[in-house]
Amino acid sequence: MLKVENLCFSYGSRAEAVLNGASMELKQGEIGILLGKNGSGKTTLFKNILGIEKPQSGNIFFEGEDLLKMNRRQRARRIAYVPQHIHFGDLTVFDSVLMGRVSYFGMKASREDYEAVERILADMQLLDFANRSAEALSGGEKQKIAIARAMAQEPKLMVFDEPTGNLDIANEQLIIEEAKKLAREKNISILSSLHDFNQALYFGDRFFFMKDGAVKYAGGKEIVTEEVIRDVFDAPVQIRQIDGQKVILNVF
Amino acid sequence: MNQIEELKRKNRRNTAVIAFLVIAMAVLAIGCLFVGSADMSVSDALKALFGGGSDAQSRIIWRIRIPRVLAAIIAGAGLSVAGLVMQTTLNNAMASPSTLGVSNAAVFGANLSIIVFAGGFLTTGNNLKSFDVGANPYATSVLAFGFSVASVLLILGLCTVRSFSPNVVVLAGMAISSVWTAATTVLQFFATDVGLSAAVVWSFGDLGRASYEKDGIMFAVVLAGTVFFMLMAWKYNALLSGEATAKTMGVHVEGLRFVSLLLASLITAVCVSFLGVIGFVGIICPHVTKKLLGQDHRVTIPVSCLMGSLLLLLADTLSRSLGSGTALPVGAITSLLGAPFFIAIIFGRKGNHGSC
Repeated sequence: MLKVENLCFSYGSRAEAVLNGASMELKQGEIGILLGKNGSGKTTLFKNILGIEKPQSGNIFFEGEDLLKMNRRQRARRIAYVPQHIHFGDLTVFDSVLMGRVSYFGMKASREDYEAVERILADMQLLDFANRSAEALSGGEKQKIAIARAMAQEPKLMVFDEPTGNLDIANEQLIIEEAKKLAREKNISILSSLHDFNQALYFGDRFFFMKDGAVKYAGGKEIVTEEVIRDVFDAPVQIRQIDGQKVILNVF
Repeated sequence: MNQIEELKRKNRRNTAVIAFLVIAMAVLAIGCLFVGSADMSVSDALKALFGGGSDAQSRIIWRIRIPRVLAAIIAGAGLSVAGLVMQTTLNNAMASPSTLGVSNAAVFGANLSIIVFAGGFLTTGNNLKSFDVGANPYATSVLAFGFSVASVLLILGLCTVRSFSPNVVVLAGMAISSVWTAATTVLQFFATDVGLSAAVVWSFGDLGRASYEKDGIMFAVVLAGTVFFMLMAWKYNALLSGEATAKTMGVHVEGLRFVSLLLASLITAVCVSFLGVIGFVGIICPHVTKKLLGQDHRVTIPVSCLMGSLLLLLADTLSRSLGSGTALPVGAITSLLGAPFFIAIIFGRKGNHGSC
């Protein structure tokens, strides 16, 4: 459903290229995980897919349509974003989620928009928060509200930028479970960057290792190997099998 | 469902606040009609208002006080909502209606009109032959407006070509403001005493310059701007989540910023060109509104308008009652009146999350 071909991008015409012929492909309902060092181009790739930045060359197709030719509203109804740093102003939770529907209603929310938000809040057990100020909630709760807001866009693909970056372990698990549930139940594809390999292995179906602005390795769990990680991260790790699952250990 | 009910209650509360402010404004506006430098009793004023009273009294009410009260309502609303929109679209709590250098450009235009065309530039004494240029009520306003619009278009043009990031816009605005101020200083240096004092007095905001025609023009611009801002309320709300996130929700951030800055600057340019510089309304009123009612633009846009009208009405009433026989510059009163209240609000209320 998402096909990125040979994407090249730099911030400013004289700056060094951040994306250098990045290509990748994700299927409907799949969870794709982007792995790579800081500065390898993960966030920039997201920004190009989300339309926050425009690539200098290359193509992005979404269900066969040229994503780069779509306007922001069309794009917002297909792809939603859960950013790493989440702000809502001081809107209530209800209004923050309703905002996700702005690409549908434009100026004034209709009864259907309100009902859609109520449904999403009920689904995600957030109704008790509806009237609270979203900005004043905890990190995990804010993340959940941001997912609800993304759901209000009725997207086919959700992009998560480091969804567990600012969370404690309980909230990390909660958010990963929530996202995984959405992908499975609503057949929504997910593209996420993550730092933790074990989380990535639990969460993802496909893995994309980025190095120097390009996707160097792509594939299922089988490509997550000691050699690949050493090549991409310049860091030694060991992989063990525990209860039939791959576990990746840091080597100090 | 409880929480949903509570949300509805909150919406009703906001409607009540707006209704209360409208009523307060109406009461204050009517009260203002009875205050002024002319020695007129309330009953005389009432008589004049309803068609009785002497010619002089009905002229004072109908040709001086009513246009003045209308100007306070319109300009107050316009400057305040312009400030709010500047703050949101530039993501900068210190942005004001004249962030793009509108006021300084208007002051330069007015100085040019007064000093060069009426005050006897490079000759001694007044150049009486051309004094009627300055005496034309619109000549100075037209030049002031022309320069402020030129200033805005210059900045927005540069930003469109090069970079439209909020910080660049704010810095460019600061730079161009100082150019206008410097040019004004040069003009004033060469001005005659009469020209200089006329130019300086012009730059004090004064609602006494209002007339029905000017009110009509200001009203048209302020109304058009405010209607547009109201229609964009959800998009401004989206901007509170950050520029990048707003883009992914389908908001054309650059276009919204361009049109919003242009309209806010036009509102400011019209008000300043007709009435002189009225500072601080555009900073105080939006911030007080946000502190009291939050940042939802569906609420803050109308409430900021009403707050601005109220502040300017109040300041103008004070300026007329304090100045025994003459009106003090209303710009000074808005700051004197508003700043302490503003400080009390920013230090006084609950936490400081989302400060702009």
